[in-house]
Amino acid sequence: MSAIHPDQVSAAKLAGMMRPPPEPEFDPVTRDGSLVEDPAVRAPLVLGKDTSFNDVTETVCGYIEKGPGRWFWPVFFLVSQVAGLMPLMILYLIITGVGVWGLNNQVDWAWDITNFVFWIGIGHAGTLISAILCLLKQKWRTSINRAAEAMTIFAVICAGTFPGVHIGRVWMAWMLFPIPNSNAIWPNFKSPLLWDVFAVSTYGTVSALFWFMGMIPDFATLRDRAALRIMRASDPSVMKVDRIRCFVYGMLALGWRFSTRHWHRYEKAYILLAGISTPLVLSVHSIVSFDFATSILPGWHTTIFPPYFVAGAIFGGFAMVLLLMIPSRELFPGMKALITLRHLENMAKIILVTGFMVGFAYAMEFFVAWYGGNQYELHVFLYNRVVPDWVDPRGAPYWWAYWSMIICNVVFPQLFWFKACRQSPVVIFIVSVAVTIGMWFERFVIIVTSLHRAFLPGEWHMFFPTPVDILTFVGSCGTFLTLYMLFMRFLPMFAMSEIKAVMPQANPHKH
Amino acid sequence: MSTIFPKWTNNLPTLLAGGAVGTLAVVVGVVWYYFTPEYWSVGYMPTQPGGGFNHQIHVGKLGMDCRYCHTNVEKSAEANVPTVSTCYGCHADGRLAKLTSSQGHAEKTAFIREAYAKDEPIEWRRVHKVPDYVRNFPHHAHVNAGVSCYSCHGNIGRMPVVYQAKSLSMSWCLDCHRNPEPHLVAKDDVYRLFDVEDRNAADPSGSGKRLTEGKRFYEERKIAAPENCGACHY
Repeated sequence: MSAIHPDQVSAAKLAGMMRPPPEPEFDPVTRDGSLVEDPAVRAPLVLGKDTSFNDVTETVCGYIEKGPGRWFWPVFFLVSQVAGLMPLMILYLIITGVGVWGLNNQVDWAWDITNFVFWIGIGHAGTLISAILCLLKQKWRTSINRAAEAMTIFAVICAGTFPGVHIGRVWMAWMLFPIPNSNAIWPNFKSPLLWDVFAVSTYGTVSALFWFMGMIPDFATLRDRAALRIMRASDPSVMKVDRIRCFVYGMLALGWRFSTRHWHRYEKAYILLAGISTPLVLSVHSIVSFDFATSILPGWHTTIFPPYFVAGAIFGGFAMVLLLMIPSRELFPGMKALITLRHLENMAKIILVTGFMVGFAYAMEFFVAWYGGNQYELHVFLYNRVVPDWVDPRGAPYWWAYWSMIICNVVFPQLFWFKACRQSPVVIFIVSVAVTIGMWFERFVIIVTSLHRAFLPGEWHMFFPTPVDILTFVGSCGTFLTLYMLFMRFLPMFAMSEIKAVMPQANPHKH
Repeated sequence: MSTIFPKWTNNLPTLLAGGAVGTLAVVVGVVWYYFTPEYWSVGYMPTQPGGGFNHQIHVGKLGMDCRYCHTNVEKSAEANVPTVSTCYGCHADGRLAKLTSSQGHAEKTAFIREAYAKDEPIEWRRVHKVPDYVRNFPHHAHVNAGVSCYSCHGNIGRMPVVYQAKSLSMSWCLDCHRNPEPHLVAKDDVYRLFDVEDRNAADPSGSGKRLTEGKRFYEERKIAAPENCGACHY
């Protein structure tokens, strides 16, 4: 698209004719230029007139080298204080025992497992973007995959903590794994709780490998830029930070030299890892759903759970991606050129589709509860969840949790039928907040409302969270955000080489 | 552009991979060997009052039956430690003068008569102990099924001071509960430690005569070695 050859632009910039990163121009029809409706025109994935490869490198490396702005460290300070709550609460839990949580004899899983399923679900969007969209050759994924993968890993870290600490005797957590021991006892291989350990640890490992491998060329770019500045500097003492960068990014780059052979291997490894990750998108949350589905508790004993959980995980995961990206777009200079309105609209469409799947699953659960003719199952669905206690004396006091879930997960995404809504970052942000809240409530509804009233009225107990329950969850949100902010500050937030491959210059024949 | 890392760092990945595998092997080995009751408990030999009851002399040399002192072993879970009066029954003043040739014998056993005179128990120290979360080891169930003392305590008749011969770990318990036959002996042999020792030495793997005999005992005595958690844990 550029009239001048991109190399000429780069040469001009290297010669010192630098200019600020391009801001997208505003057009009333195509907005930032990405919302082209003409099927004959390929919508640009990177905005700005004459954006060169070097501009992309400068923008992405600028976040690390120049920093994202003055807002960063004060916000980071606050967020990391919140993150500190999590280890404090866990320490208190270990010292005192699980009695500090609101669990009781009847509701023996509550916020711990709710938070686990919530966080593990969040991660699925990252794997979907990096694996399935990669195999489907969806080019728009290139500017969001890195951040989404990072989010996946941080979500898995938050998720893995909860089952690790909910076992009571935390120092026995190694017994989650089948390790030979002098007691000659093994985890129950027939239990989905053990499958869960394997599913989540495999998921964490593959995601971390995928994420790290993708960053290697970008680490090499950061290393070389630092090395170049050191070489050019007249006073070596000024370049202390660059020396550290050179060493650390040099280590992380694992000797990457941008040779064709390196790229060839990289592409092969990438597609292999994408292939390995693809089944994980479906398997991990299916296995998490087995934790419930294989039990015989009415409300859990449902064959619809695996697909229902997977759809919900992608639904909630994309909401979290949008929650992180919409503010980042505003706060980081030049990011609007890389994450366009079309990216946001595409993700809004995925939320609409997966929201429908989730809504369908909610409806089918009811249909099967009625059609299956099991009075206990119908009772759980109808009276433990839907019917408020002030309408029918059989109703349970958890109706508000169920209806919060329905409003957030089924009603809010309907806004995306309207073009104006799915193209407005503010509306998308509001819907994403609603979906995130709704998905948390979905897990709470499944776990607590099914458990809190068993077959005999003597087994009926309400669950009330204690401050420790609440602060542990708040702390896990802080941990997630702290890790994500460190990622934004110190690691390449975009896959530079992949973005360059979807720019017009990479496709000179325009086919 | 000058190089950032010296050339030897090319070997780092190999070294790190080798180091990681080596470290893992060492960690596994250390845990495997040291983090077990077999390492920590076997050979536990506390100092006993008066130098301890010499099982080597009483059982090995004199051929006393286990049940002379551990009277309740066939009736109760606890294989009781004898009272002072049991010791005093033989070691009363002058009673064993003909049997003992050594000069120090009277001196060595003086603490028994002192304790008897004061009507105080002798504070024997416990050697074999299972954790709190395990039921008392039911001695009567085991000896009546035909498991010799030897299987769990070793040849006590060779021990001047009693020590723990086996690990008493859960996997050790299960080894026998999952394969009880070779450890079953004829009812008369249960307390004959030296005979059982010879029998085991003749068939160390327990796959020959011990197994064929044991299978018969298992059938005859209608034994069912339990493997469920509640068998040993509350």
